[in-house]
This record gives sequence, C-alpha cells and structure tokens, in this order.
Amino acid sequence: MNTIPIAGVHHTARPTWKLGETVHFYRDLLGLPLVHAISARGWGPEEHADFLHFFFDSGNGSTIAFFYYIGTQPPEFVTVRDDYRYRASHTAWRVETREQLLECRAKVEAAGIPLKYQIRHEVIESIYFDDPNGYSLEVTWQVRPFEQIDREDAARTLAAAIALEQQDFTRIDQVWSTKGAMLDAEFAGHGEAA
Amino acid sequence: MPTIFVLDVPEFQPLVDHARGLSGCSVQGPRLGYWRVARAGALEFQRKALGLKPAVWHGALTGGMVGRITHFDNDRLVVEEA
Repeated sequence: MNTIPIAGVHHTARPTWKLGETVHFYRDLLGLPLVHAISARGWGPEEHADFLHFFFDSGNGSTIAFFYYIGTQPPEFVTVRDDYRYRASHTAWRVETREQLLECRAKVEAAGIPLKYQIRHEVIESIYFDDPNGYSLEVTWQVRPFEQIDREDAARTLAAAIALEQQDFTRIDQVWSTKGAMLDAEFAGHGEAA
Repeated sequence: MPTIFVLDVPEFQPLVDHARGLSGCSVQGPRLGYWRVARAGALEFQRKALGLKPAVWHGALTGGMVGRITHFDNDRLVVEEA
C-alpha cells in the first residue's frame, strides 16, 4: 500500500472570536503551554483580515491552534450548534493509561470546566468537554492497540457500506446484512482452514 | 437460520460466551477473525446480562448478521429468521 510519509498530528486549527477566553482556557485551565504566535497583516488573494495565529502544545509534538481575525464578526457558518453532527468535528487527545484519563477528568472538573460525558467505547474510553468557543474536546485512552483483525473488519464494513451508498441506504441493518451474507459464504467456503 | 458474526476481540467476547450457553446454539470459529453464532428460531441477547456498555451494545452486530432484527433497544436484542 502506498502511504504518504507523515508522522502524526502537527496541529489542528479553528477560528476564535474569544481571544482572551481561549488563551485562558487552554493555557491556564488546561495547562497547555502557549508555544508560538504569529501576528500578521492580512495577506493573500482575497480580502483577508489582519490576524493572530497561535499554538498550544498538546504533547508528543502536537499542537492545537487558533486564528483570531481582528475586527471581524463570526460568519454564520461557524455558529456553534447543539447537534451531534456539529460535535462530530472535535479534537481528541491521547492519554496512555486509564489513571491518566481519570486524572484529566479530575483536573477538568477542578478547573470548573463542565464535564459532558465519560464513555467507554469499543476500544477507547473517553471524557468530553467543550472549550469557550463551543468546540468539542475529548481525552481518550485506547484500551488495546488496533490489530490486523480490526483492519480487516473495517475493510469489510466499509466495503459493504460503500456498496450501499448509491442505493436506498437508510439503516445500519443493511450493512450488517450485506456483511453477514458475504461472511456466511466465506465461512462456508473456508472449511477447515481456520 | 438467524446468524450473527462476532469479531474475535475482547470487547465482543461476552456475546460469544453467552451464546455458548444457549440451548440449540451453534458457535463456530473463530475463522476469518469471526465467531459464527447461529440458532434456529431466534438469537436473543440482553445488554445488562452481558455487561456491555451502551456504546458497545449498539454496535453488537457490527460483525454482520443473517436474519432480521425484530427487537433492538437499550437492553434487548433479538434476531430472527429473515
């Protein structure tokens, strides 16, 4: 398989219209060091506001970054919505152990940040909270590494779903049935070669 | 016959363990990374009895199925003949 030579996340970036609150939240409440800031005149082909672009260290070489566009108001398309489809865009930070996850939870709560959920998923357990901009943050602990079995299962699931995408795809049952039929045939043909 | 495929990973193991105790239930595998669980009539599971967290429970059939889901809520799942 061809892969591009990447080595993890350098930064993710979002706009903010709450400069002071954002710096206070990430630097002072969460304790992420402010490691870089650019301040610049607007430049580029379009009408571009003067801006600040600043980065907080989120560990292991990664950062979380923000843009502050001076003298502008947030456009409608960045309006925060209380909707799972809005929250689908989020940042998830990694911790190495469950103890660290619980330590994060305790520190978040001690800082007065409302904790929204703590959820155990299939292979991860996570806590969730929002930043002052309404952006969703997650801290997650991965219970076990992804193995070959997970990759092969993911390929089967996505192949089934992609085949359904161009049809009347309304329920996950369709994926399960498609996958089940494929596996049933393979299982039968696989015989003793377990 | 109602059949489900269960990925052979720890988080879904309670489904397989439960199926082994069901009368008339066939548990084959793992092959290709899956357990094949089949039972004439109906396959039924209860979340709390399995000790599955909701996020895992609602993906319990992600391995695939042959049949029709006739009941699936926060605690009970039934797969019957299609």
